[in-house]
Parts: sequence; structure tokens; C-alpha cells
Amino acid sequence: MAMTTEGNSAQRPTSSRFTIEAKSPFMLQVRAWWPPVLWSIVLLIIVAIIMLAGGPVLQKTLTDALIKLLVVVGLYVFIGNSGILSFGHIGFMMIGAYGAAWMTCCPRTKKLFIPGLPEYLQTHQFPFLVSVVVSGLLAAVVALISGSVLMRLSGIAASIGTFAFLMVMYSFYLRWDPWTRGASTMTGLPVETNSWVMLPFIVVVMFGAFLYARSRYGLSAKASRDDEVASKAAGVNVVGQRLLSFVISAFIVGMAGALFGHFLGILTVDSFGLPLTFITLSMLVVGGMQSLSGAVLGSIVISALFEALRQLEVGFNVGESVIALPGGGREVGIGILMLIILIFRRNGLTANQEIYWPFRGDAAAKTAMSRKS
Amino acid sequence: MLLKVDNITVHYGRLAAVRNVSVEVNEGEIVCIVGPNGAGKSTTLLTISGILSPTEGTVTFSDRNITGMNPENVARMGISQVPEGRHVFTSLNVEENLRIGTRMRRDRAEIERDFQMVLEMFPVLGERKRQPAGKLSGGEQQMLVIGRALLTRPRLMTIDEPSLGLAPKIVDRVYEVLTDLRNRIGLTLLIVEQSSERALKAADRIHVLRSGQIQLSGNAADLRDGEKVKQAYFGFTEGVKHEGEVAF
Amino acid sequence: MGYILQVIIDALSLGSLYALAALGIGLLFGVLRLINFAHGDFITLGAYALIVPAYGPNAIRFIADFPAPLLIICTILVIVAIALISEFLIFRPLRYATAATLMVGSFALSFVIQNLIIMIYSGRPKSLNLWSELTEIKFLVGDVEIALLPILIVAVTLILLLLLVLFLKRTPWGVQMRAAAEDFKMARMLGVRANFVISLAFVLSAALAAVVSLLFEAQTGILMFRMGTPLMVFAFIATVIGGMGSLVGSVVGGMTVGIVSSVLQAGLPAEVRGYRDVFVFGLVILILLVRPQGLVLSRAARERV
Ligand SMILES: Nc1ncnc2c1ncn2[C@@H]1O[C@H](COP(=O)(O)OP(=O)(O)OP(=O)(O)O)[C@@H](O)[C@H]1O
Ligand SMILES: [Mg+2]
Repeated sequence: MAMTTEGNSAQRPTSSRFTIEAKSPFMLQVRAWWPPVLWSIVLLIIVAIIMLAGGPVLQKTLTDALIKLLVVVGLYVFIGNSGILSFGHIGFMMIGAYGAAWMTCCPRTKKLFIPGLPEYLQTHQFPFLVSVVVSGLLAAVVALISGSVLMRLSGIAASIGTFAFLMVMYSFYLRWDPWTRGASTMTGLPVETNSWVMLPFIVVVMFGAFLYARSRYGLSAKASRDDEVASKAAGVNVVGQRLLSFVISAFIVGMAGALFGHFLGILTVDSFGLPLTFITLSMLVVGGMQSLSGAVLGSIVISALFEALRQLEVGFNVGESVIALPGGGREVGIGILMLIILIFRRNGLTANQEIYWPFRGDAAAKTAMSRKS
Repeated sequence: MLLKVDNITVHYGRLAAVRNVSVEVNEGEIVCIVGPNGAGKSTTLLTISGILSPTEGTVTFSDRNITGMNPENVARMGISQVPEGRHVFTSLNVEENLRIGTRMRRDRAEIERDFQMVLEMFPVLGERKRQPAGKLSGGEQQMLVIGRALLTRPRLMTIDEPSLGLAPKIVDRVYEVLTDLRNRIGLTLLIVEQSSERALKAADRIHVLRSGQIQLSGNAADLRDGEKVKQAYFGFTEGVKHEGEVAF
Repeated sequence: MGYILQVIIDALSLGSLYALAALGIGLLFGVLRLINFAHGDFITLGAYALIVPAYGPNAIRFIADFPAPLLIICTILVIVAIALISEFLIFRPLRYATAATLMVGSFALSFVIQNLIIMIYSGRPKSLNLWSELTEIKFLVGDVEIALLPILIVAVTLILLLLLVLFLKRTPWGVQMRAAAEDFKMARMLGVRANFVISLAFVLSAALAAVVSLLFEAQTGILMFRMGTPLMVFAFIATVIGGMGSLVGSVVGGMTVGIVSSVLQAGLPAEVRGYRDVFVFGLVILILLVRPQGLVLSRAARERV
């Protein structure tokens, strides 16, 4: 019955005590790119504080959270722009992670553990950066192939298709012993990733995602999200636009997978299943699926919460006794939080809006900006 | 007064499909709402039935405020709707279709009598009791949904375009049945039609709806010549006939 | 000959389990357009309900020691109660949300249930024998021994199917459910109570899940917090293959998936046998593409409330 007008009208912080007139060309650019600028600054501050003042465990947790954040931004590029819920992206993360292993493990390890690799890969070893980018490209190629099939579906059928895609990739890698060691652990990736390494990747990807969302391509994808029939009628190549966002997002998620491989140095297929799919998806849903700010904010909030609940799981002293949350407790907490947000704040914490230039500027530029979204 | 729709405004998202519409139906009356495509007729009926909620205004039925009530409770209050496009349950057989609305009634014996009455009225339904309703022709389906609505023994029946897609002869028959029901058992009817002629013939009172607003309301008897209705329906008046534009 | 008989019986019993689970998913999809990812966890909970909720490494038998009829009833009651609570707390507030949101909601519920099990029962597998005589009793057919359990699974499935069909065809509640599944708004305009039919669908779905958990537990003898997930995944696949929302389709789909997996398992050459699931899931994408409405033609695409 809820035919009432959903209150998705813009909720922008409109007034502020400060007025920063963006007059210089530089400030105008900053304002136009405000969401990624803002989040880059926020993340820089978080990383700086924790890397300088936090313990090693916290630093590892931060890197892990940043990897998830990158995955979520990748998810946003597809889900936010195409409107299709994807359950399959962790498959791309897995492809990227194993791609990194194929390229960077030392030849001796490869010969021993993954004898199926072709000669060239067996004997060569590539630098970290090449490995990350090429692994992202590998995921993008798989996305191009699978997407040219999957993106023909729409709505819930497409979501089911991505689910089946994850299952196909997962069961395939789980059995592909000569390339992936199957159910056993793959070891020997050089450990390169830390939070400082993650930061530039995230910043570049955020700007790229923002640029894409505002480009002609992103806008047509969004048009097809909002009204598929009408945009088809208006000549938008719906399948093509969706496919483009699918490929771009797979590239990002694939890179995140490679970075993940270089973070732990070991890989198991098992870690790329439904639980990780759930966590990343809930980050996006909690933040708001249709904005970059939602993706970033959702990841930060859930990761922070996870960490806070982990502290509880470790336990703290109350008088004589130690009160501790039993294992699984924080997942239960996250799941319940997710449900609450789903029920009471369906468009996420950001209400699907970007966070705009908060300092009063000239009104014309602001309306021009908001119209673009 | 049986039904009072008071100044309702209904939105689809941000679009107001109906603005400040008021309709009243007295016991035993036949009231028609006419209007062109997209006027908001179906929206009005769906709001009465509780499928849609108005953003403003109220719907009152026999002195109870039913605004925003669940459709099932509206039905239980005694409003039965035959919506646009019939909506037979194609996988249920004819008898199951007919009887589904009787589940909310308590008067067993009466149900059987009403059932027989519907079968007398539409003998073809009796002959095909066990057939899937999806196999019926369009006209038969229209009879089925009218019979189905009647079997809930409504105090008010609302019908959305009973003539849609039917041959004129069958339309005549449908209207014959409806007027007959009013005369025989005092059924109150709120009918939506596109054709004002048909509505003028059957109704006691009519409302003309266009662009989401009531343009004209009145007794059918007073409007029989049809000129005013036409004006309200098509939205031009003699005075403002865009003479300037026509002149060139 | 005996080997082939064995394969057939295994295929049928696996297909039966999938069909029962798929029916549970299909029933909910029919009335609510909900793809219930938590169905597998209802199945898991059905098995865990048999023991005392305790963290220790060993399963302490509780309902598991009841006489069979009582055991079955208790398990069903527990799962029905959990399903109704989930409906009330989660799916009722989300009723008018999009299908995607509902799907995410059930995903979250699944995640919560799995981790609750870890919290309460611990994440370690526990062994629990249920009705072990069913696997011990064997018939000698020709030169192979066939256990009673797979035959029983097929029989139970057939009986439940028959009961469900009778319920849906012959009882007023069943007719209301079919009507609501076909055209929810129209059914409501005829006085069918939305909360009632949806709760009814949850009850039936949960009861089916409970039966699956018992049969599955009798077969495997082990408790794991994610034991229902593969069943859910295959059952979900089955409903897609059969045509979302068609109950006949769910059964046909479940049987198809079970039979295809068993036959692939038996018939594929050893070197590709491991990739069996890849083929099964690939089949889903193929079917979505060439026949988005599923193998069994279900009613035309319809809109929920
Ligand atoms: N589900 C919907 N979502 C959005 N807009 C709708 C919806 N249904 C109707 N509308 C719009 O509301 C307006 C009124 O529609 P309505 O169906 O009430 O018209 P109607 O008078 O019944 O027309 P018709 O004679 O063609 O049936 C139209 O502009 C229509 O486009
Ligand atoms: Mg209409």
C-alpha cells in the first residue's frame, strides 16, 4: 500500500556558518570533485593516524578494511549505476587474487604447487604493480565475456545470473588444482600491501568511479536503471551500458583481489564465497547503493563496527570477571544492523545522495551540480 | 450517504494522478465517473479499495473513515471492486474464482442462494464450473468477475470499465444485468466508463474527470443532451477555442 | 545392472531432497516474491533443534531422543516458530520493498542465523546419529544392497507432494494461497488477508524445511552450521530451472538438478567429474538466457501487491 511519496528528495547540508567562495579555478575543481576529494582526505587522516599511532594488529585490520572498501567501490560502480544487484563480484576478486599469484609467486613455488601454469608464467616473475593492474584486467576480460551473456538479463533474473556466476567460478577454482591448488592453500605471494599502498589505489579508483558516474556512459547506465523501457526507446544501448559498468567494476574488484593476495601472501578459494559477498554487499547497502559516498561511508562504518565488536569479542574486565562476546557475535551484530538499516533507512545512511560541498557557495553552481547526479 | 470520497489527492511517486477529487454515492444509486485515458479514474477506484493511499483527503464508507485501510478490510466492510482488466485467477477454475470472495461471509445458506442466482444470471458460468477460468472468453471473464464480486454480497460495487474490449451486444447485456441488480436487490454501483453516452444512459448521477480533476458533476437527467459533458470531457469551451491559432 | 539401480535410487533421493527444499523456496516466492536465502538455514536449524543448545564439542541429544512422531512434530514446530518470527520482524516491514531488497534481507537473515549457531553451538561440526537403523536396514536387489533411507526419502517426498497438492486444490486456504500467488492485489480486494496467506506460506515452507532437515540429518549424521547452504543453493537453482513461482516447476527443477548431478557424478569421466557443479551452475545461466520463464511454463509475469 505504501504508495506514499518516498522521501528521496535531496538531503543536502545546505547551510553552514562558513562561506568559502570557490573563486579560483583550483577551488572550483575541488568543489566539482568534492565527494572523492572529501573521502580522500578522510581516508588519508584515518590511515595516517592508525599507521603512526596504532598497533600492528590494528594496522592489519585497517589494510583489510581498505581492501574491502575498494571492493565496495567497485561494487558501487556496477550496482549503483546499473541498478542490478550483483552477487557475483567476489568471483572477480578471486580471479584477481589468483591472477596475482600466477604472476608473482617465485618460479620454484609455482613449479611445485601450480604445475598447470603455462611455461611463460612458470618461469617469469612480475613486479607488484604490474601484477595488480594485469590481474584487474584479467577480471575485466572475464567480466566482458560473462557479462556479454549476463547483462542481457534484467532485474532479478540478472541478479540470479550473477549468483550463478559466482557459484560457477567458485566451484571451478575449487577444483582447478593445477592452477589454484584447489581446496588447499596457495602460498608464496610476496607481501606488499599495506594501508599506505592501498591509499593511492583507492584515491585513483574513487576519482575514476566519480568521473564515470558523471560521464555520458554513467548517465546512460543510470537512465536504464531508472526506466529500462523508456531509455531503450530513447535509443540507449542498455545492454552495452550495463556491460561497460560491469567491466569497469570487475576491473576494480579484480585489482582489490590482487591487493588482497599481496596482503596475506596466502590464498584459499574458500575465502571468496558467500560470507565475503554478504559483508561487502551489506557495506554498500548500509551506506546507500547509489552513491560513491554511500559505498565509502558504508565500508568505513561497518569496518569500524566490526573492529569495535572484535574488541568486545576479546573481552574486557568488569570487576573480577571478563565479559566477552562469544564467537560469531560480531557477525550477528552486523547482520542485525544491516536488517535494521534495510527496514528503517532503505536508501542507506547517505540516502543514496552524494555528500556535496558543505560550504555556502553560489547557488547556481550547486543546482547545476545536483542536477547532474 | 454510503460512500464519501472527500477531496483526495493521490500520487504515483512525485506525480499527482488525482487532485482534490470528491465523489459521493448514496445507497441504491448508480454513479458513473467518465473521462478520457489517463484521467485518473482507475486511480480513484483503487484508492477507494485501499490499494492506493491518498496523500490528502479522506474516504468514508457508511460513516466509517476507511482512508488507508487494507484492501482486505475494505472488502470486508462491503466494498467490492471489479478492477480494470478483469483479473480472473486464470489457474483457478470458474467455481473457485466465484467462491473465493465468499470466505469472508458467515451466512452459509445465503451464499448458496447467491451462488445459484449468479449461475442463473450467467448460465455459461454454470456450464463451465470446473474449467480453468483462463480458458473463458473475454466476455465470459467479465461475467465471471462481476459474479465473483456479487458473491461477496457487497454494499457497494465499483466497476472499472465494464465495456472494455467487449462487443457492443455483450456490453448491453452487462449493463442490463447491472441495472437489473440495482432494481431487484438494491445494489449500489460506482461505475467507471470512458464512453459518456453509455454512462449517461445507465447512471443516476455522473462525474466527469479529466487530468486528475473533477470537471463536472451532476444528475444524469440534467445532462442528457450531452453538450456540457462533452465540453468537460474534451476540455474546451466555446469561448476559448484558440481562435488565434485556428485563424492562420 | 545393480550399479545402475543404485545410481537411479541415489538420483531420485537426492532429487527428492532438492525438490522438497525447492518447494519451500517456491512457495514463498509465489506469494511474496521473496527469494529466501535463509531457507537453507531453516534446514540447518531443524537439525540443530534436535540437540541441547550448548557450546561443547559433543552433541547432547534432546529432541533427537523423542519417539519419531513427537520428534517430527517438535522439529516442525520449532522451525515454524522461527520462520514466523522472521516473517514478523523482517519480511513484514519489508513487504513493499523491491524484490532485490527482500533478497538482501533474507541474505542478512541467513548470515545472522549462521552466526547465531556459531555463538550458541560453536562452529565445530558435531556428530549426531538420527534413526541410524534406516541406513542399516538394507534390501538385497539382485547383487546390490539398497538401504532403506533413500527409498524412504523418495516415499516421504511423494506423500508430502500429494498432501500439498490436496491442500492447495481442495481446501479453501489452499485456494486462497493459489489466488494470492497469482494476483495478490485482486485476492486482497476479495477479502483474502495478506498477513494470513503470507504466514501460511511461511508455515508450509518451514514445515517442509524441517522435514528436509530430518531426512538430511538421518543421511549425513553430522551437524554443521552451514549444512543447509548447499541444499539451499541447489534448491534455489532448481526453482530457477523450473520457473520461479511455479510449484510444479520447483518439483521438476529439484528432480532435474538431483538427477543431473547424480548422473554427472556417475557418468562424467574422472578428470572432469570434480567440475560437476560448474556444469550445474552453468546450466542455470543457460536456462535463464534461453528460457527466462523456466522449464515449466509458469503463469505470466505478475506483479506483487
Ligand atoms: N502504476 C503507476 N505508476 C505511475 N503512474 C501511473 C500508474 N498508474 C497510472 N499512472 C498515471 O496516473 C494517471 C492516471 O491513471 P489512471 O490509470 O487512473 O487513468 P484512467 O483514467 O483509469 O485511464 P484509462 O481510461 O486509460 O484507464 C495517468 O497519467 C497514468 O499515467
Ligand atoms: Mg483506467
